[in-house]
Amino acid sequence: MQDIRTRYPGYDILKEQKEWDPHTREIVLKRLGPFPKPKFLQENEVQMLKIIANHLVFDNRSQIMDWIIHHIDQSLTSNIGEGQRAPKAPPAKDLIRWGLQAIDKVATIKYKAVFLGLDEKQQFGILAALQNGKAEDVPEWAKVPQKELFKKLAAEIVSAYYSHPTVWSEIGYGGPAYPRGYVRVERWLTDPWEAKRDAKQ
Amino acid sequence: MQNNNDYVTHNCDHFDGHRYSHLNNRKYEDEADICIVGTGAAGGVLAYELSKAGFKVVAIEAGPFWNPQTDFASDELVAQSLAWQDTRLSTGENPLTFGHNNSGRGVGGGTVHFTGVFLRFHESDFKTKTLDGVGEDWPITYQDLEPYYNKIERDIAVSGPKHFPWGNFHGPYPYPERVPISANAQVFREGCEKLGIPSVVAPLAIISAPFDGRPPCINRGFCNQGCMPNSKFSTLVHHIPKAIDNGAEVLSDCMVTRINVDKQGKASGVTFVHDNKEYRQNAKLVILAAFAVETPRLLLHSACPQFPDGLANSSGLVGKYMMPHTGHDMYAKFDQEVRLYKGTPVLATSQEFYETDKSRGFARGYTLHAHGSRPVEMAQGLAKSAGIWGKDLYEIMRDYNYYGRITQVGEVLPDINNNLSLGQEIDEYGMPKPVVSFSYGENDRKLIDHGVKKANEILQAAGGKPAFTVPDTAHLLGGARMGKDPTQFVVNEFCRSHDISNLYICDASVFVTSGGGNPTETIMAIAARTAEHIVEQANTQQY
Repeated sequence: MQDIRTRYPGYDILKEQKEWDPHTREIVLKRLGPFPKPKFLQENEVQMLKIIANHLVFDNRSQIMDWIIHHIDQSLTSNIGEGQRAPKAPPAKDLIRWGLQAIDKVATIKYKAVFLGLDEKQQFGILAALQNGKAEDVPEWAKVPQKELFKKLAAEIVSAYYSHPTVWSEIGYGGPAYPRGYVRVERWLTDPWEAKRDAKQ
Repeated sequence: MQNNNDYVTHNCDHFDGHRYSHLNNRKYEDEADICIVGTGAAGGVLAYELSKAGFKVVAIEAGPFWNPQTDFASDELVAQSLAWQDTRLSTGENPLTFGHNNSGRGVGGGTVHFTGVFLRFHESDFKTKTLDGVGEDWPITYQDLEPYYNKIERDIAVSGPKHFPWGNFHGPYPYPERVPISANAQVFREGCEKLGIPSVVAPLAIISAPFDGRPPCINRGFCNQGCMPNSKFSTLVHHIPKAIDNGAEVLSDCMVTRINVDKQGKASGVTFVHDNKEYRQNAKLVILAAFAVETPRLLLHSACPQFPDGLANSSGLVGKYMMPHTGHDMYAKFDQEVRLYKGTPVLATSQEFYETDKSRGFARGYTLHAHGSRPVEMAQGLAKSAGIWGKDLYEIMRDYNYYGRITQVGEVLPDINNNLSLGQEIDEYGMPKPVVSFSYGENDRKLIDHGVKKANEILQAAGGKPAFTVPDTAHLLGGARMGKDPTQFVVNEFCRSHDISNLYICDASVFVTSGGGNPTETIMAIAARTAEHIVEQANTQQY
């Protein structure tokens, strides 16, 4: 079966933007770029995070990856707290910076190449090990709990990805709904503007 | 030095038609009668009731005074700013998630982003020790709170069913139940009906018809991101503006860092920080209503030579017996689109499993809600908490519209080891960051398993295929529990601290047990009762 990216090929959420309140519209349109140069992340970190994001969200479209990087850079530059953190984990900035260094170290020990030099399968293997706290033992992990690193990467990358209007269109999400709201909320009913499976492109 | 981290630049002093962006014209700079720390579910009610009674009230809020029209957005990512994001250290076997899960920042507190589910406790909740041999008895009964439940529901025009089958109160609610209900709520009710489980349209602090200048709900569905039409109650849109009309002063973007005590060992006011500068607010009476984390944290951090272990802490129990609710999310896939994004997130509910049933092998119970979800919440939950990512996540999310969801809100028994303490790390205000340790007990785990199974049965009966469970929690209660014995409890049955007669603690921290449902209505009823008590006391004695 052909692997289609969307059940809703005829749906483009951005066509609805005139119906959104100005504050929301401004926020959503900014996600399309262009984005300023990262303030915290260095070039190598940007490239590594993009590859990690490709694996986590199973997508590699550069426009969406650029937004994800911008989002991560913004949250690491901001002084706003991170809600919660394990006492054994360093603050997000260090967790990610040191974590990426540790990932490179693991790659070097295991495959004699940096993470970006590995093939997809090898990269995937390292991320999967990280999720279970079972990546190759390197001294860097003493400062960076593996599972906490994975959770932070997953939270930042996945929340940014599913906040991109292109992805909203693809999954048929209604998106911003003020001031319009919904008239037809019950089963089998949709408002005329919502995503329809059988709509023509 | 601390920074002002708010997204929005707002006025910080609000009273009598004035809004100032500085603190040079404070209304009660010399002294207030009552200083309330926090403007959430409890603080809002207290500010309103006490200003109405004629007291000079100052309410101090750490976050901004939101304007729903310009600050809120129909967006999950941006709405995270409504939550308390200052880093809390979270540990234990089941470390809690804070922020959006349980606490708000800004006027209105958590009521700005709660789902609006409005449930009373049952009579049994107040005496679990006597009835079931677990937890602890409250010093008050359901009957003590009943008049205040009635009052709060009337005050904000709660909508709900004509008949509510569980607990002591069977309806009707002041406003008619919400119609129509969402597809996800229909699926839930259909599944329940097939299994013979009673269900209702959820009682909600969301109006079903115009009320008090606010319009009825338009089913936008972003209750957790801040209601933009003002159809959902919050103390931001209801109690606080009325308190200001009554003469109260609200200081926003002001972080209280210390409760001050005079030579006689009485509370004399608070110290707070605004824009890197320290200020004081003197008051005859101080009420802490800052949430189950910030309230015990302030008490412990306010330790002084007279009270070396922190204020109101002669029992040593400040910060102890903290309880979240279980909040497991059960997703099932359907053949037809459910579209979890549409309509008020919780529109159907069952409390059929609320009371203890010994045959189940555990004490107490839970509520099940049909519970909408948005892409970020669903995908992030899968990746972070259920370990699903990559191609699996992509394939699930491609069919986002085909999933339905039920959430359990289950009772967690109090345990002295689930606690808050002050950590080694210092925050930008110079205060130690709080460390909250949480681990489920055996009873909690059995209760979760039962709820997960029941939810999946309901989803299945409705034609869904149970797909995955995302472990989660909601709310946080305890840390300054109420009771008669000063050696075992922090405050008395009217939320007055046992140690300091003019220091009250009135928020989620005073909960003795968690109950098996959403706590906001009980928090507000307790606040209304405390306010009435303070008014009565003031007539007979000097604070």
